[in-house]
This record gives sequence, structure tokens and C-alpha cells, in this order.
Amino acid sequence: MSEMNSNSKNEKNEKLFEMQKEQGPILEVKDLKVDFTTGDKRAVHAVRDASFNVYPGQWVAIVGESGSGKSTSAMAVLGLLPGTGHVVGGSIKLEGEEISHYTRKQYEQVLGDKMGLVPQDPMSNLNPVWRIGTQVEEALKANHMDISHEKRSKLAKALAGSEVAVKSEDDETFIGSKELPDLLKAAQAALSEAGVTGDKAKKKMDYFTAEWVPGSETRWRVADDLIKAGVSDDKAWAIAKQYVLGSTMTDRISGLLEEAGLPDAATRARQYPHEFSGGMLQRALIAIGLACRPDLLIADEPTSALDVTVQKRILDHLHALTDELGTAVLFITHDLGLAAERAQQIVVMYKGQVVESGPSLEVLQHPQHPYTKRLVAAAPSLASQRIISAKEHGENAEALMEHHVKGEETLEKSEHIITVSHLTKEFKLPRKKEMFKAVDDVSFSVKRGTTLAIVGESGSGKSTVANMVLKLLKPTSGTVTYEGKDISGFEGKTLLDFRRHVQPVFQNPYGSLDPMYSIYRSIEEPLRIHGIGDKKSREKRVRELLDLVEMPQSVMQRYPNELSGGQRQRIAVARAMALNPDVIVCDEAVSALDVLVQDQVLRLLNDLQAERGLSYLFITHDLAVVRQIADEVVVMQKGRLVEHATTDEVFDHPQKQYTKDLLDAIPGGHLQLGLD
Amino acid sequence: MGKYLLRRILQMIPVVLGTTLLVYALVFALPGDPVKAMFGDKPINAAVAAQIRAEYNLDKPFIIQYLLFLKNALTLNFGNTFSGQPVIDEIGQAFPVTIKLALMAFVFEAIFGVIFGIISGLKKGKWYDSVILIVSLLLISVPTFVTGFLAQYFIGVKWRLLPVTAGSDPGFLDLLMPAMVLGSVSMAYIIRLTRSEVSSNIAEDYVRTARAKGMSNGSVIMRHVLRNSLIPVVTYLGQDLGALMSGAMISETIFNVHGIGFLTYQSILKGESNMVVSIVTLLTLIFVVCNLAVDMLYAALDPRIRYA
Repeated sequence: MSEMNSNSKNEKNEKLFEMQKEQGPILEVKDLKVDFTTGDKRAVHAVRDASFNVYPGQWVAIVGESGSGKSTSAMAVLGLLPGTGHVVGGSIKLEGEEISHYTRKQYEQVLGDKMGLVPQDPMSNLNPVWRIGTQVEEALKANHMDISHEKRSKLAKALAGSEVAVKSEDDETFIGSKELPDLLKAAQAALSEAGVTGDKAKKKMDYFTAEWVPGSETRWRVADDLIKAGVSDDKAWAIAKQYVLGSTMTDRISGLLEEAGLPDAATRARQYPHEFSGGMLQRALIAIGLACRPDLLIADEPTSALDVTVQKRILDHLHALTDELGTAVLFITHDLGLAAERAQQIVVMYKGQVVESGPSLEVLQHPQHPYTKRLVAAAPSLASQRIISAKEHGENAEALMEHHVKGEETLEKSEHIITVSHLTKEFKLPRKKEMFKAVDDVSFSVKRGTTLAIVGESGSGKSTVANMVLKLLKPTSGTVTYEGKDISGFEGKTLLDFRRHVQPVFQNPYGSLDPMYSIYRSIEEPLRIHGIGDKKSREKRVRELLDLVEMPQSVMQRYPNELSGGQRQRIAVARAMALNPDVIVCDEAVSALDVLVQDQVLRLLNDLQAERGLSYLFITHDLAVVRQIADEVVVMQKGRLVEHATTDEVFDHPQKQYTKDLLDAIPGGHLQLGLD
Repeated sequence: MGKYLLRRILQMIPVVLGTTLLVYALVFALPGDPVKAMFGDKPINAAVAAQIRAEYNLDKPFIIQYLLFLKNALTLNFGNTFSGQPVIDEIGQAFPVTIKLALMAFVFEAIFGVIFGIISGLKKGKWYDSVILIVSLLLISVPTFVTGFLAQYFIGVKWRLLPVTAGSDPGFLDLLMPAMVLGSVSMAYIIRLTRSEVSSNIAEDYVRTARAKGMSNGSVIMRHVLRNSLIPVVTYLGQDLGALMSGAMISETIFNVHGIGFLTYQSILKGESNMVVSIVTLLTLIFVVCNLAVDMLYAALDPRIRYA
């Protein structure tokens, strides 16, 4: 980013900020205290004296790890605290009005049209039994929205007012799908009348067809578009007035979905949630959250469950949309890089308290509180960013790296411990004749003592490859060899031996540990299955392993549900290490964890590799993590291997557009980081 | 969908064949000689006995008897009882009574089970939730014949609110108490099922999303909590209808209702294999059809389920 560009952007930001300040905060949270009551009537303090403001049109991010009280604060603002949670002190003011003591009935009045929510997990936030359109409709009906007219927030009006002439209410009437064909015909006629013909006219018409979405575009925009295309003012307004008469409910619903970035919205609105992908569901939730044009949108980790590239697209879209509508956004995230990239202000929460707040770059470049410093240090997006910028400045990036990447020479010399060649896996899809190729002719090899990362979005086939390497899935064709032997031939004793040397760590630490097994039993199980040692020596080994993953030995008698996600993942690593394996296959092993915990687990994996010469096959969708752990990277897309190179090569000179997109999607990638 | 339906209907054939064979074998294996029983205390005339045996195919080996029964059943001829009545007539008399009883019990358990379950699930931990839970637990753990006798004693004898027994050709009031007793256990199960569904659904993320839209509490409960909670309840109810049609043996005996259960019981005592097997065939069909209906209903209620 050039100096000039960023200067002018700063200026614009300042101007915007002035305007925001003028209007006073839309949300003012002061000394907020939230308690949860436990079964034995004890109060657990979830939020302590939290204060922050959100001004109209502003993006404010609350950053913190899980359990820091960031989501709880947001839910307290919405009056949607779960279970026994309740506000015990402080004040929450919405547009100057105290709402913390509101009853449920009063909250119903402000929810939807003053405050909207875009929740965290798109899969569970839409009711599976209702059509998408119906669930958007509920939002409109609950707030008695006028579906034929647009309602815009004050700031949007103020912002638009400086550029466009003041519009009367009627000019905000939506296009209806019934009149659309006639409108397009009239536009065509008007164009030829105005002397616009041939290719140019065709281009204009294509533009109109794409832009004039029923239920989303308004009368004045139609007129505006026509005038820009060369039609005279009077004629344009006459056409707009004649044919833009207001939309129906169905039009408005698909208009909203279209705005949220859902293509072919009219058809999509009639589908059910299970027919949507995660990214599409999140778009539908954005449409619902913004349906009644709230002044404040609370986005609670809106993209944490999604692939990075989808995350970027959705946040870009949300940003553009809220800018246009003048909606203020309270953005909850655990990723500091993402927060800094998206928000103007950052509020850092830790153990229920606000430990730091201020303008984003300020917080990022000069963190004051030790916790913020740790967050800045741990965020993978920022870490890889730091390495890149260090290199750009010609400094020694090695010092910044946790993992010392082996050079190409060492890689070439090392022995191949796992070799995958021409691996293909086909699945039969229901109700379809042709087979679906989940993995298509993939070849690579993992060298002893190094880490190979497979990167790709969900559905790229990376986990299928991992399962085939682990011999949990049979390849359709191609081979996997372990130490030169084809694993498809392993049976009985040889298979047991293979299992002993190649161990998995899976994504979901909640699902991969048996809840009925104590921690001791979970770690001891592989030893018992392989008949190693007696009871006493096995117990000794479990103690060693717990030491290795830096867990206290006292956890042995506890059960998985008593541990946090990060602790569980350590247990999973300890279990994988129990048999002294040569290879560990990590299938999204850190994706479900908070940044700080993620950082700890990555460090642990790096240390173990340095100490014991382990080889890792590391499956992830997050390129930022790759930088911290991998020596080599394989990029997969739609089952195919698109790029294979050393980590440095991939980050410094990505060859394929897809790899570039993935790199581009790392949050915080465009931040100007101070190197202090 | 059509293909799926056809497959399910074809699947009924082995099910019906299997159950009839099994029941035929069981009745055949029952101790005691039905012909001897017909003579009662009178001395047995060997010639007459042999004639009866020949007439009812009782002198033939088991498998032949079964195949002959099947052959006749295909032409809807289920044979005669030992007293000479056509089996189909007896069933024709008893079945409407059972249907009436079963439907009454069904309506009773559905309405009260769902209502109490919803109240309980929405207000978990309140005193009436505890009361509903304890009563439902009692109804599940106490056997039907105990509940039946208690109801007869208090409602029928002591307070004289309802007739004690139903007798032949019973009316609505005659069947009210048997229906309530018959439906009580299922009602208790429905209360518990509805309660747990409602209380887990109300914590779902999409319920919070619905509240965040600004929807009123009433419509959130109706559209997002109850609509989803009722899917498993409706499934249970559908299967229970099949069970009610056949499982009324105890209640029908206690309340002297001359329905299918009563008839089955009597026929087993008399060793009327034709009658027992015919009834079982009928009940199997009802059960299989109910199951199919439930599966279809399930697909209609839950868009995620599609049959192909």
C-alpha cells in the first residue's frame, strides 16, 4: 500500500469519525457486570466493569479468547443472555436510552429494527424445518417492515446527502418483479430514443438486468442509472415512476438475500438450510440481521466457522453493505489480525474485563497490556505478516520464526518416510450416475523429520488424503508407501505395526476423546492395545507423556468434559505420542482452538519434532498456521494438487492464482505493522 | 418417492409371511388338544373326533396345515372357528370396538401428553413441572392392570362417575375409562419426550436468532420450539397407534370390552389357531402400515429427510 493512498484513506476515516462523533454514541456500555448463577447458587462473574462505545457507522471489535466475556457482553447488550446469565450492574444505553433493565417485551421492540445479530455458527443458527425465505420473512414481519419502501438509517442519509440530492420517501420505493420486464423494455426503448444503440446499448441493458434486483434496488437508483446511461432526466424519472411501484414480500426477501451476496436468491429463498453450504448460510444470516435496517449490528464471530477465502469474501461484502447502509457494527472475534483489519476501534477483553481499548492500529502497534502483547505475538495471521514484512525490510526473519524451516537442500537429502503417488479416491453420490472425485491424482512425499502441510478449503479433499495415508480409507487407485512398503498390503500384525508408527491427531478435541474414558485410560489405551509393558510401566509412561505435553499429572483421573479445548488437544497429542510414532498426521489439529492455545499447541508440536525427529503431515485450511510449522506445502483445490513447494517459495512466490487468493485471505495481510 | 413406497409395500410380504408362520408354529406347539377341549367333560367319540380333525386339517403335519391356511387366506377365507362361526365374522364384530377404544386412547394421550409435556418443558424446575414428572413416572412404573383396578374402584364403584365395565356394544362413556387407562402409559412417555424435546430445543441457537429478529415470545415458541419438538413426538404417536390397536389385551379383559384383545385372549385359551393367526396377520398389517405412515409423516415434517 503506497503512502499517499493510506494517507488519503486516513483522512477520509478521520472525516467519517468526526461525523460519527457528532451524532453521539449509538451504543454506550458502562461498567457492565454480568453474572451466571451455578447450580449451588454461587455467582460466577462473566463480565466485570466492561465499558465501550460504538458510534454510528463505526466498526468496533471486541477481541479475546473463549471465556473472556466478549460474547457474553454482546449478548447482554441484545438481552439474549443464555441460561442463568443476568446483568447485575452498570448500564447499557442504546441511542441514549437505558436498556439493561428492559423486560423481554421491551427488548422485542428494539431487536431486529434497532439492533440486529449475525451469530457465530451458521449451521446451527437457522431452523432446519423452515425455508430460508420464511426465516427472512419472520424478521420483516416481526418488525412490521414496509416491504415496498426502503428504510435507511440516519447516518446513511447524512452520508448520501452530501453526494446525492435529497430524495423524497417515494423515491425509496423498490422495484417489483412483476413490473421488471416492462421496466427493462421501457429502458430499452428510452435508450434507443436517446440515441444509444448497438454494443453500447447492449452493455447498458446487461448492466441494468444485473443491477436491477427486485426488492433491493429503488426508484431513484433506476432513474439515476438511466440518466447515467444517457436518458434525459425527465424521461428517466417518468419511467422510474411508472414502473417502480413497490415490491412484494417475495421480492423483498430475495432482494435482501441478493444484497447479502447470495446468487440466484429467488430460488435459494425456497430452499431449506441443509441444502446450503456454511458460507451461504452465513449470507442468509447476514440478510436476516440486516433485514430491518438496524442501526447497530452485532456480529458474533460471524466467520469463524468458515474457510479463510469464504471468510474474506463475506466480511468484504458485509463491510461494503454496512458502509452503504450506515450501520454500526460490534464485531466479536478471537483473531486480533482480523479485528485490526476490519474495525476502527478495538476493545481487548480478558477474564471478563476490558484490558485495553483504542484505535485498531494503535492497539496493534503499541500494545500496552501484557495480555494484548501476548495476543499480538500469538496471532498466526500477524506472525506470518511479521515474517513477510521483516523479509521485505531485509531483516533476519529467522529470529521471528518458531519453526526453523529446513532448506531445499536438506529436504532433498532426507529420506522419504511416507510417499503418496497418484492417489485417487472416488465416491458415489446419491442419485447421481457419475462418480465424484474427492481426490484426483495426488502425489507427494513426507520427508523424515520434517513437516508437510496440505492446505485447501473444505471440500478440497485434504482430509480424504489424510484418511488414506492413515489407512482408514481405501484409495480407488494409487498407492501410499510407508518406509518403502505399500500400506495396502498391511494386515494383521503388519497393520498393527504400521498403526504404532503412524498416529493421528484429529480436528475436534471434543469428539476424538471418549467421554466415558478417564484421561489416564485414554492415553493408556494404545499402550494396552499394543501390549506394551505391564500396568506399572504403562502408568509411568502416561506420567511421562503428560509431562511431555506440559499437563499436570493430576488430570489422569479426570474426564474430557472437565478440560478445555486446548487441554484436550494436548491429551490427544499425548495419546498420539504414546507409542513413540515416527509420523503424526494432524488433521486440522489446531483449527478449533483459540489463538493463544493454538500457539501453545503449535509450539509443542515444534518442540517434539526438534527433540524426537518426528515427521508431520499437517492438514489445515489456514495458511497463516502453515508458516509457523511447515517445511513444505501442498496446496489442494477440488481434489487436485495445484501447487507443491517449500513454505518460503509458496509465501514469497506463489505460482497459482488459487494460492495467491489463499494468501490474500489471511486476515491482517494488509496491515501496516510496526516492527517494534 | 413412488419407487420407495413400492419397495416398502413389497417388504411387507416377507414380514407378514414370517409372522404368520411364527405364530402358527407357536399356537401349534401349545399344550392341550383343542378337539378334546371341545368335548369338555363328555366322553370323546373317536369317530367324531377324527372327523373334526379331518375337517380342520388337524390330522395333517404342521407345515401342510400352515400352507392350507395360507392358500385359503389368499382368497380371504380364514376358515371357521371350532363352533362353526366364520373367523372373519368374529373379527368383524370385535374390531370396530377396538378401533373405537384405540382412537379414544390415542386422542387422550396425544392431547394431554403434549400439553403437559410443553408446560413441563417450558417451565423446567417449577413445582408443577415436578408434579407432572412424578405423576408420569408413576404411570410408567405401575402396571396397567393396577391402574385399571384402581380406576374401576374409585371412578366406577366409589364415586360412580363412569361405568365400571364396558360390556358388548359399548358407547362413548362406557369406553372412556378403559381408554384413559389404556392411553395413560403412552401419555406419560409423551410427556417425558415432549418435555425433553422442548427444553433442549429452547436452548438451540436458532431460537436465539429468532429472538434477535424481534419476534414475540409466543411466535418464537410456536414456530421454533414447538414445531421442531413435535417431530419425534408425532413419530412416537404414529407407532403407538399401531400398538394401541393390538395391545389392548389387558385393558379389554379388565373392562370386559369385547374387542380384538379380548377375542385373542379367548382364542388362545381355546387353541383356535385359525382365529389367532388371522388376528395376528391383521395386526401385523396394521402395524406395518402405521410404520410406513409414520415414515411418510416424518419426511413431511422434517425437510432434511428424503426417501429415494
